[in-house]
Amino acid sequence: MHGTQRENRPVRRGLGQTGQERLAGFLFIAPALLYMLALIGYPIVYNFLLGFQDVSAFNLAAGEARPFVGLANYRTVLADETMGPALRNTFFYTVCCLAFQFTLGLLFALLFHQKFSLAQPLRGLLVVSWMMPVTVTALLFKYMLSPDSGIINIILMGLGVIKQPVGWLVDRSTALYGPIMANTWIGVPFNMLLLTTGLTSIPEEVYESASLEGAGPFQKFLRITLPLLRPAILAVLVLGFVYTFKVFDLIFVMTGGGPVNATEVLATFAYKLSFRFYYFGQGAAVANILFVVLFCVALVYLRLIRTEEAA
Amino acid sequence: MRRHRNVLLCIVAVAVSVVFLFPLYWIFASSLKSDGEVFRNPPTLVPHRVVLDGYVGQLTGAYSVLRSAGNSFLIACSAMGISFLLAVPAAYGISRFRLPGGRILILVFLVTQMLPASLGLTPLFLTFSRLKLLNTYIAPILSITTITIPFTLLVLRPLFLACPASLEESARIDGCGRFAAFLRVVLPVVKPGLVTVCCFGFVHGWNDLVYSLTFNTDNALFPMTTAIYNLMNEYGVRWNWIMAYGCMLVVPPLALFLAAQKHVISGLVGGAVKG
Repeated sequence: MHGTQRENRPVRRGLGQTGQERLAGFLFIAPALLYMLALIGYPIVYNFLLGFQDVSAFNLAAGEARPFVGLANYRTVLADETMGPALRNTFFYTVCCLAFQFTLGLLFALLFHQKFSLAQPLRGLLVVSWMMPVTVTALLFKYMLSPDSGIINIILMGLGVIKQPVGWLVDRSTALYGPIMANTWIGVPFNMLLLTTGLTSIPEEVYESASLEGAGPFQKFLRITLPLLRPAILAVLVLGFVYTFKVFDLIFVMTGGGPVNATEVLATFAYKLSFRFYYFGQGAAVANILFVVLFCVALVYLRLIRTEEAA
Repeated sequence: MRRHRNVLLCIVAVAVSVVFLFPLYWIFASSLKSDGEVFRNPPTLVPHRVVLDGYVGQLTGAYSVLRSAGNSFLIACSAMGISFLLAVPAAYGISRFRLPGGRILILVFLVTQMLPASLGLTPLFLTFSRLKLLNTYIAPILSITTITIPFTLLVLRPLFLACPASLEESARIDGCGRFAAFLRVVLPVVKPGLVTVCCFGFVHGWNDLVYSLTFNTDNALFPMTTAIYNLMNEYGVRWNWIMAYGCMLVVPPLALFLAAQKHVISGLVGGAVKG
């Protein structure tokens, strides 16, 4: 593997020289590129413009022109009483999910990184929660969290954590914790896998020499594992942020944003504006706000991998 | 000493896995309960009487699962096929040829993969509406590929990079054209990667809820995800039926995943982190 990889660098450079080769390369890429331009590039531009236009089912149906209204859509959605809760919920949800997923994922990764006979098959099995259709996971947790016959209340009461059944999804003060629990369950394997890859890249010798110098397991974790795991940790947190922040399906199925905005997030708010009230311009504006936050985080991520690659 | 450690770790790991995968057991156990038993409080851990009503009742009748399952298959396979045909050559092209703007292109695809579905939803809806594509299979299929194509590209690029160029050189000396060399020599080498992207393409198409929900209002076109979302209100708290539907919905992606587990895990990790 090492030999071939090094070998193929200069050859590649050689291939790219002639115009004919360049054309061949372009032909391989062109279909996908054009397709993506039409289905992603165009919608992004379209959505950007929609944010500044007054477009709703009413003027669309009448076949009227779509007037440009400047920042009016943004002003309207920012003043909307749902916007505050949606922003707060999205950030709260993301931070909680990241904290739980990361902690559990790291513990799982450390456990399954140990050498024992069942490590591989069990780790593979855990990934199942990540591959399940989110719709099913959402319904499953909705059932497990139901106040009367939900198993989670029964377990928590059995353990003595709570005295009486909690309303979870029907109670405004606890509703957001439902999707947080479900998403943590979905996200743990993802964190575990990425962190395991990071753990595998730490050479055994480092631990051995630390043992010789009399370091205990806890010290080794703090002084060796965590610092050397830094790139993997950063990747997991940034990617986790991006995937969590845009949450839609899970909340849409579990609570639909309710009760009374208690679980409304940016994506569900944008969806409602566009497809329940048919204020397409305003829906586009909220989606653009969501996009800007994600884009900033993605830029941070790209910067990180570039510095990692350079190092 | 070493042996004890192994046993101890196995016990801990099994215990952790059992707790973690309990929801999976719960969906299955609940799906086998009768209407009366599913409401029992506290719930029974193992169904006292195994009843297949939830399954049989939904296979036939007004809300037939079979029709929706057919739709799910059609949507998932089409999304998989399109992204395979477009993205595999593109991944090869992007890793084999030095093209102007090639690096930027990779970054663009990396960012694309992170985009929220919500961003494209409104413009795609308006565009599909103008092209009279609402209430067709085409609308959700095309939308799903916007996520599977960048993913496919990012998973396969490192594999093509690692595949020695000397392979194609010799094939070309033997008289193969560029494309023939790609088909006959390069593709077989990256087969594990192709398995991964096909699995992902299918699972992603199968799991999609929002595109069919948004672009289609005709029940006859609904995949299983959209159908159960709509049935949820119909069934209310008939959880045994909902869980039975969930079980049927989970089987294809899970079976696929377990069959190709090794490839899928390494591919997903590779594609998600770096591209």
